[in-house]
Amino acid sequence: MLPEFFEFHNPTKVVYETGVATDLKPELDIIGIEKYFIVSDKPIADLGLVRKVEDGLVESGFIVTGKYTEVTQDADLEGVKRCAGQIKASGAQGIIAIGGGSVIDTAKAANILFSKGGDLVEDYSGAQTLTSRLNPLIVIPTTAGTGSEVTMVSMVYDRDNKEKLAFVDKYLLPDVAVLDPEMTLSLPPKLTASTGMDALTHSMEAFVGTAASPISDAFAYCAIELIIKNLVAAVQNGDDVEARGAMLIGSCMAGISFTHSMVGCVHGMAHATGALYRVPHGVANGIYLPYGLEYNFEEIYEKLAKLASPMGIDASGKDDKFLARAVIEKVFEVRKELNKLDALPLRLRDIGIPKDGLEAIAEGAINDGTSFYNPREMEEETLLPYIQKAY
Amino acid sequence: MPYFQTSEKFEEVLGGFFKLMGETPVIADKLLKSKLIIRFRYTDPDLVMVIDCSGDKIDVRPNDTDTKAIVEMSMSSDIAHKFWFGKINLTKALTRREMIAKGPIPKVLKLLPAIKPSYNMYPKYLDENGYEQYNILKAYKPVAPA
Repeated sequence: MLPEFFEFHNPTKVVYETGVATDLKPELDIIGIEKYFIVSDKPIADLGLVRKVEDGLVESGFIVTGKYTEVTQDADLEGVKRCAGQIKASGAQGIIAIGGGSVIDTAKAANILFSKGGDLVEDYSGAQTLTSRLNPLIVIPTTAGTGSEVTMVSMVYDRDNKEKLAFVDKYLLPDVAVLDPEMTLSLPPKLTASTGMDALTHSMEAFVGTAASPISDAFAYCAIELIIKNLVAAVQNGDDVEARGAMLIGSCMAGISFTHSMVGCVHGMAHATGALYRVPHGVANGIYLPYGLEYNFEEIYEKLAKLASPMGIDASGKDDKFLARAVIEKVFEVRKELNKLDALPLRLRDIGIPKDGLEAIAEGAINDGTSFYNPREMEEETLLPYIQKAY
Repeated sequence: MPYFQTSEKFEEVLGGFFKLMGETPVIADKLLKSKLIIRFRYTDPDLVMVIDCSGDKIDVRPNDTDTKAIVEMSMSSDIAHKFWFGKINLTKALTRREMIAKGPIPKVLKLLPAIKPSYNMYPKYLDENGYEQYNILKAYKPVAPA
């Protein structure tokens, strides 16, 4: 059945090649400006990845007007303001972000202030508040998980008011996403596993979600195949450029998919768990994913069955319910393999969540905005048993 | 032609419904828990409405442009009217800028499950309060200005 409405808007140019992050000239020449400011974080800078990109830029005749490498684990409001101030003062014309989700989200939000001025929270927090293009933003992801290089969202933490601010706007979509597997080689196994499970969750929830469309399905379908076939290999051997590349592409395609079709109860439970117990988002998604699929089973099994083939399951002669269960079983298997590699916890109890905290997680999940897009109505009493299973 | 021809009529109908929601515990309790102050800016016809959930009861204030709102939602009165029937695809409304939301979006999204019961209440409210002509689930007949 076709959706009543969908929109597909993906103006971000995606470039993939091993080593391409040091050779951005063809892309930057098209953009047509010379002065760039780099946004990153300390671990990425310490690994020499910022220098690598910077050297490439300078060799190609571009000017790096400055660097901000103080992005914290959560993109925070004060950091965004500081970063924007430095970009503006440096005389830059565009931004290059090198890092994971927090770096990219910081760069996106800083670009609003850099391009438009004003008060970030008062004038721009929310959805569709921008009315014209921002300055050029080039993004080089160093994790394969958030997909932020191709999403129209920036999440910023306001420490003073203890709340996450969302900026949702098509003008936040970066101009270029540079997928270079060499930039992810140094990602440790645990982070590779949790960010990879995050990407798998994006693609699976996007595929079965209520706002899915044939176009978002195509991206999710390919993303799932790439991630399922390469996540364990990327964790096992971080230097496997082929697996790293597949994960980067899979994560990017998952990002394109979920920025159009949204996510559901797995993210709802992960958001609630993260808010209550500061559990990293990818870890929580990795724990909840199969249980969330089970929760939605009756509503999604026909569509879930379509994922048998990309997940390497022999579909011949099997009915949809059988295949859908096999798909969920495959997710359990991948988690187990990652757990054997000591890269991913499997249960909430393994990450220190108290048993008496599960009701609060259920309450938080049903009140999460993602519940709006979940295929099955989310109610505390029906969701709680699945959180208990994850415990 | 928009569903509502005058700001006064729109205020009467929608304001009355907001007050009804404020008196319905299954909705009001969750709204009050959010502590949000939401300003709706409607166009065609124009109307400003503040829903203040920061106290111990929900306060509906038409034409309040002074209170500092936490969230501000802008849309046409037709989109607003259809929204309360559950007839608005939120993704569509936001991506096509039929709705503009300023402020902490996660807080607004959190309210969506809480207001779901209102989608059944709205047509019933219209029918029971002499506003049947605005019930788009029945044959809608535009009302000409007086």
